[in-house]
Amino acid sequence: MPNVLIDVQGLSKHYPPNVKAVDDITFQIKAGRIFSMLGPNGAGKTTTVEILEGLRNPTSGKATIFDVDVTRDYSKLRDKVGILPQNFEPFDNLKPNEAVQYWAGLYDMKATASRVNSLLAQVGLSERKSVISRKLSGGEKRKLGIALSLINEPEVLFLDEPTTGLDPKARRDLWKLIEEIRAKGTTVFLTTHYLDEAEKLADDVAIMNKGKIVARGSPQELITKYGKMTVIVITGAGEEALKEIKRRGIEATVENGDVLVPVKDPVEMRVIFQKISGIELKAKDIYTRRQSLEDVFLNLVGAKMDEGVLSP
Amino acid sequence: MSRIAADIKYFGIGYLRSKTGAFFAFFFPILLILLFGAIFTATPTKLNLPVQNLDDGPYSQALISILNGTGLVNVQEVPANEDIATYIQNHSLAMALLIPQDFTKDIIARQSGNGTGLVNLTLYGDPSQSTFGTANAAVNAAVTVLNFNLTSTSPLVSYGLKSPGTKPFSYIDFFVPGVVGITVMTNSLYSMTSICASYKSRGYFKLLATTKIKKYEWLVSKFVFYSLLLYASLFVTFAIGKAAFNIEATLTPLSLLLIPAGAFLFVSLGMLLGVVIKDPESGAAISNVIGFPMMFLSGSFWPIDSMPMYMQAIARAMPLTYFNEGLRDTMVYGNTGGSMLNLSVVVLIGIVFFVLASKLMSWKE
Repeated sequence: MPNVLIDVQGLSKHYPPNVKAVDDITFQIKAGRIFSMLGPNGAGKTTTVEILEGLRNPTSGKATIFDVDVTRDYSKLRDKVGILPQNFEPFDNLKPNEAVQYWAGLYDMKATASRVNSLLAQVGLSERKSVISRKLSGGEKRKLGIALSLINEPEVLFLDEPTTGLDPKARRDLWKLIEEIRAKGTTVFLTTHYLDEAEKLADDVAIMNKGKIVARGSPQELITKYGKMTVIVITGAGEEALKEIKRRGIEATVENGDVLVPVKDPVEMRVIFQKISGIELKAKDIYTRRQSLEDVFLNLVGAKMDEGVLSP
Repeated sequence: MSRIAADIKYFGIGYLRSKTGAFFAFFFPILLILLFGAIFTATPTKLNLPVQNLDDGPYSQALISILNGTGLVNVQEVPANEDIATYIQNHSLAMALLIPQDFTKDIIARQSGNGTGLVNLTLYGDPSQSTFGTANAAVNAAVTVLNFNLTSTSPLVSYGLKSPGTKPFSYIDFFVPGVVGITVMTNSLYSMTSICASYKSRGYFKLLATTKIKKYEWLVSKFVFYSLLLYASLFVTFAIGKAAFNIEATLTPLSLLLIPAGAFLFVSLGMLLGVVIKDPESGAAISNVIGFPMMFLSGSFWPIDSMPMYMQAIARAMPLTYFNEGLRDTMVYGNTGGSMLNLSVVVLIGIVFFVLASKLMSWKE
């Protein structure tokens, strides 16, 4: 197995008259890792994934998986690639065990009862295998989608926004499942607009906005490079405290009545605390918060992201 | 082959579990057969014919007696002191016969050479009502018989009724191929259009494109599935028609060939419509726009010859017409040549639709 499994070079996808859905992106993904493409709705994530899945032709550039050109020879990859499309809905009137057998048939595979049971057990649907799919919960439907995508025991698994619209518990269940899949050696290409999801799961993150990759690295690397590491949060201190803090030469901002003091270098932490302790603050609480991908995203894109939608 | 088999099996399971699928495949044709069969094969009941007799002579009594003897009507007396027009209006009558005062006296005068002109009866009624035709026929027949009796002559020319086939066919025999035609069309066309729309909006086509099944294999699978489904539907409908109304139409080898040909044609047309449809809602609208007129204008319920010429021209442009006529030719009239010709037309149109659908339908971008 080559170390670089997916290789994307100068990939673009344009739509008339002047829409650059994907704009000259280049990245590589190593085998056995979870790669997350993170970005708001319309960033170009799904277009990129669908090019890699052989469903769209790029305007220019090249994409290969296992050195196979996805535009020309995608049929050679069908045994190696598994796909969970965005907003996956199973066939309403089939039960999960039937859906798995059906999908196996479409891959020329014989799905024995033990194979079906083991696949459904892997995704946690054993007890729901005989329930008509339309009666499954949102999370169970996505799990069934993942079971189908695993039918051919793929080496690469594309998961396009697998947890969108799910409740927190269902999301955590799917995270666990995705980690288990990676633990078995499968390379996972995950698109998401949930920053916590990318931070929790991904070994490697590409932040995408307006068709371009604006940052690339592990979550920790991105936080180190684009974040402000740690923030001292003085809750409920307000504008008065902000003035006092700034008068002492400390950089700070106010957000929802809380004063936020970024600490770029951990060494500065002690000095800042000493300076703050001299101020009579009407604070409810003081704590430190490690910055996350959310902050990185805000710094890079200049907007927050909520359910895939950007807000200033 | 295994991919086609898997698709037929699991698509079929899903289809038959859907209430709509089962309804249109089995309950819909059975319902049509039972309803239309009950209406058109029942022994016709006599029509009540209100008659106001203002005459007190024997000839008016003879006329009433002849009317009752036609077997078509039961004469009901309208009181002589009522104004007949008001009486018809107040009782919402579709028709009523007025025998005028001095009816007998005037006939006798004519017989003795003293009178001039004809002695007139008046049949009030609304010709647009279907029952009016029966009343008119009964009165016409009674007047003819009375005229023969009065002139002491007898008719010289008559005619009898005979079915064109070797067996006596009734409306239900004409109707059964029409029901089969409607069933084939609704199941294949409506459901394929809706399936294509829902597969598009739910991303199933993209999903299928990532598996090993080929587009033509999926199309073949749908054709085979609908053929099997429609065979089952045909046998059930036919058995019920036979049991309930003793239909004389027969299942011939050609009729069994027409079923997959019809499925092929309408599945292909459904897929072709699916190419342009974006969502399930517009899918339902488009299939209704195409299917609904076809259902009524293609000779499923009544002969095309009974329609105005311009409607007949429209009917000839509808593929269901050839399917219905092919079935009727072989099942009712025993016209093998005509049926083969219609079968060829159905297959030919099906091939055109199939090729176009295969070329234009894209599972990907």
